[in-house]
Amino acid sequence: MSVPRRRLRGIAAAALAAGLVLSAAACSASDGDSGEGGQSTIVLQYFGSPGFDAAVAAFQSANPDIKVDAQNMGELKDFTPKLNQWLATGQGAGDVVMLEEGTLLGYLETPDKWTNLLDLGAASLEADFLPYKWANGFTADKSKLVGLGTDIGGLAMCYRTDLFQKAGLPTARDEVSKLWPTWEQYAATGKRFKESDAVKDVAWIDTATAVMQPYIMQNSQTWFYDTNNNYIVEQNPIVREAWDFGLQMASDGLTGKLQRWQPDWNAAFANAAFATVPCPAWMTGSIAERAGDAGKGKWDIATIPGGSGNWGGSYLAIPEQSKNKEAAYKLLTYLTGKDGELSSYKEKGNMPSNVKALDDPAFKDSTNEYFSNAPTGEIFGASAKSLKPIYLGPKHQGIWENHFETEMRNAEQGKKTSDEAWAKAVADGKKLAEG
Amino acid sequence: MSVNTHAAGMPRHAASPPPLDPGQRRKQARQVRLGRLDLKMSPYLYVAPFFILFAVFGFFPLIYTGWVSMREWGLIKGDQGFVGLQNFQEVLADANFWNAMLNTFGIFVVATVPQLLLALMLANWLNRKLRFRTALRMGILLPNITSVAAVGIVFGFIFADRYGLANWVLQSLSLDPVSWRGSRWASWTAIAFMVDWRWTGYNALIYLAAMQAIPRDLYESASLDGASPTRQFWQLTVPLIQPTILFTVIISTIGGMQLFTEPLMFNYGAAGSGSGLENFQTIAMYIYTTTFEGNFKYGLGSAMSWLLFMLIIFFALINFLLVRRSLKGSVK
Amino acid sequence: MWEASPLTYVALIIAVLLAIFPIAWSFIVASRDNSSVYKIPPPLVPGGEFAANTQRLLANDQAHFLIGLANSIFVSSVVTISVVLFSTLAGFAFAKLRFKGANALLLIIIVTMMIPTQLGYIPLYILMIQLGWLGSLQAVIVPFLVKGFGVFMMRQYAMSAVPDELIEAARMDGCSTWRIYWNVVLPTLRPAAAVLGLLTFMETWNEFLWPYLVLDGDTPTIQYSLKILATGNYTTDYVQVFTGTALAIVPLLLVFIAFGRQIIGGIMEGSVKA
Repeated sequence: MSVPRRRLRGIAAAALAAGLVLSAAACSASDGDSGEGGQSTIVLQYFGSPGFDAAVAAFQSANPDIKVDAQNMGELKDFTPKLNQWLATGQGAGDVVMLEEGTLLGYLETPDKWTNLLDLGAASLEADFLPYKWANGFTADKSKLVGLGTDIGGLAMCYRTDLFQKAGLPTARDEVSKLWPTWEQYAATGKRFKESDAVKDVAWIDTATAVMQPYIMQNSQTWFYDTNNNYIVEQNPIVREAWDFGLQMASDGLTGKLQRWQPDWNAAFANAAFATVPCPAWMTGSIAERAGDAGKGKWDIATIPGGSGNWGGSYLAIPEQSKNKEAAYKLLTYLTGKDGELSSYKEKGNMPSNVKALDDPAFKDSTNEYFSNAPTGEIFGASAKSLKPIYLGPKHQGIWENHFETEMRNAEQGKKTSDEAWAKAVADGKKLAEG
Repeated sequence: MSVNTHAAGMPRHAASPPPLDPGQRRKQARQVRLGRLDLKMSPYLYVAPFFILFAVFGFFPLIYTGWVSMREWGLIKGDQGFVGLQNFQEVLADANFWNAMLNTFGIFVVATVPQLLLALMLANWLNRKLRFRTALRMGILLPNITSVAAVGIVFGFIFADRYGLANWVLQSLSLDPVSWRGSRWASWTAIAFMVDWRWTGYNALIYLAAMQAIPRDLYESASLDGASPTRQFWQLTVPLIQPTILFTVIISTIGGMQLFTEPLMFNYGAAGSGSGLENFQTIAMYIYTTTFEGNFKYGLGSAMSWLLFMLIIFFALINFLLVRRSLKGSVK
Repeated sequence: MWEASPLTYVALIIAVLLAIFPIAWSFIVASRDNSSVYKIPPPLVPGGEFAANTQRLLANDQAHFLIGLANSIFVSSVVTISVVLFSTLAGFAFAKLRFKGANALLLIIIVTMMIPTQLGYIPLYILMIQLGWLGSLQAVIVPFLVKGFGVFMMRQYAMSAVPDELIEAARMDGCSTWRIYWNVVLPTLRPAAAVLGLLTFMETWNEFLWPYLVLDGDTPTIQYSLKILATGNYTTDYVQVFTGTALAIVPLLLVFIAFGRQIIGGIMEGSVKA
């Protein structure tokens, strides 16, 4: 038996023991422990790409006593289950967390998990926010303010001028906006577009589901739920109307039958496979990224049919389990304040919900070079100001994304009849809503 | 702790020990006692880590699953109490559950049958005098060491509808492109392709090992009787490696019934929704989305897990009987 | 033993090419720019973009690729060392030591090999919540520190590989059981233990579902990072995805090239003995 070998074994055993100790000490999401030199650490958990980087850096240099640990948790659908876990178990959630508007009402059902921002002095901020965005942050009995708005997704219609020209349609954004004051006129324009042989293989719009969202928002105050959180989609004629309208466009051959965010959809941008796409402010960056240099200057932005609409937008909230609410509130109000939201707009194109930011020239007079220098601030701002609030309900996001969008796509792609798909969406949505 | 007086398995010293002074004698007595204790207790100490850890993280969860499956329990609302077999009734009445069952079983059949046949053929080819033997073996095993997630990503691109490689191949053979997530057969085939790519080589090596254990003289006498290599393969090799075939079928069943990551990645990482998901949502995906997404229903998920477990045992038995019978039939 | 015909070589080479193609393709795409992902026909030679792609991948703050890589190396190493240690210990006890209840205990181990791990995930998950381990690495280490298959494999090997005379002789010399394990049994078991170690390492490295359940985007394993990378809703940088995929395979490829012969031996041995 040689010594070195025995020593090696000792090392292996020690490594194992150390490994166990180390792994037991490996940090999970921390909870505002005090760092060195009296610094307090604040954990910010967000999903997607809200464009917080520059704002967090600016906040840090203004508040050297607070250290911000900004954690990007991936996509909304990855983040939601984890956040639910943390809230239910009372550990692991950050000091400031981002909530999507489609999931917000579900969190408002358990107000005891959240800090009341009114207790921290948020009441004075009311005038700073768009009225509907402010109101949506409250629990049902209006006693507790859970979240302040980060961004909103004011809708416009992005379109390709080169394809419009080929099809013999006008290309200037004001004239294009005049083509479609209503959705019916939008569909009619689509048929005119498809009559041209020059754009034979091009769809008018990427997918039928893209029509449904703004159509419902413009024509109804509720969607899947009534304001008492009963699942009422079958009694809401507008939802079915929007569904039928979108699928009618599909059977007229106007839609691209694509699934948003998937490889084929992404590639379709590069291949100029559709002419129009409803786009919220934050999506302009996504389009530029997908259509690439080849599409630069070939896109422009017109108003959305019906004049307003919203797709997406989020809130920031402080979980009750946070151990450092004061510092968390400081960060939260900075990110949702004028400078913070303008910084997000600059970084990722996320449109402010803070009125001061919306009225600031940095937003109002902004243009987008990629989109033929369209006055984005003006277009999106107008869409947001005319927006009617809509009540979404607790599990809106899951019902919409997992069931209605999926089933509508099935019908659009001809895998099911419209009625079959509708019945399944209604039933599966009900199961989720009432489970 | 009692010290056993008769030393089992202690080697007997042939020579009698020389006389000792009292101090040494005490020391020796202590050593003997320690030796006996060592002999008695060591085996238990050595197997203890396995059993303790297994009890906590293997056995306890298993039993606990049964208990949870009879309760109304979710993450959000907490434990709502005992409901008997209600969860099982709910699962059995759930159309989505049966749909997932159909997909799981369908993908399993579409994947396993060609996979094992192909593995047999590969093993048969490898079972020859070959140059570069190790390189070839390593080559066909290579897919098995790659991660499922990585494979899922790469194949997800290969099976993209419009701009994917698979459809390009079909079109260059002047066939129509396939909507890979659009129908049951297409999605089953695509997923089966991923599974087979990963496991065929592994099974081929297992068959090869079994084939190499067959005595050479059996083949020699068969050749003298004028049996062609093909006939030798079907009438000699296959019946003789029957236990190994059975082993791979059962392993494939256990794996196939739990299929999760390949279809998940094929659906761009979503277990609960997506394009055409109904066509290929497996039972493991459905359990996942019921338990860990949406409403976090532990009770329902546990009931499904138990049903899946029983199903695996059932199929393993069926496989066992079928394979045994068919192989008995082929030996004439 | 028949001679292999040229046709056999052709068939085997086609099989190997099919096996290698997806892996090779991901490496080729990883070394080119984004336009090559959808190139038809696919590019067959690498380009010069690998460094740039890797840089972008490491800068991606959603996937935490480097953290995932480090976590995976750590988790897989700890699990592997533990499984090998406890399997050789228990395997030696079952093969070479006589004790009451040995047969019953061994039977239990064989039964555990039949139970699908997924079956216990829900309670295990609830247990993790109660222990407060969600989102930390012990959740993917501690439940996997032992493996029934490992114990069984080591027992089978020890039965034939460790001569009884050797143990007897060591006992005559007054060695304690532990010394016998360290100095006699472990060196003899080394080849089989190496195979078990490699298989365990690969399995842990490639584990997907459990880490995906209990960890989060901030503390991922490499597979979780890949999932985030591949399905990030707003990603179109597919080359980055392929770069991650390729890099995640590299450590295993190195292991495979170094120990491939042994792994193949292990798979073939194990199946005959089982």
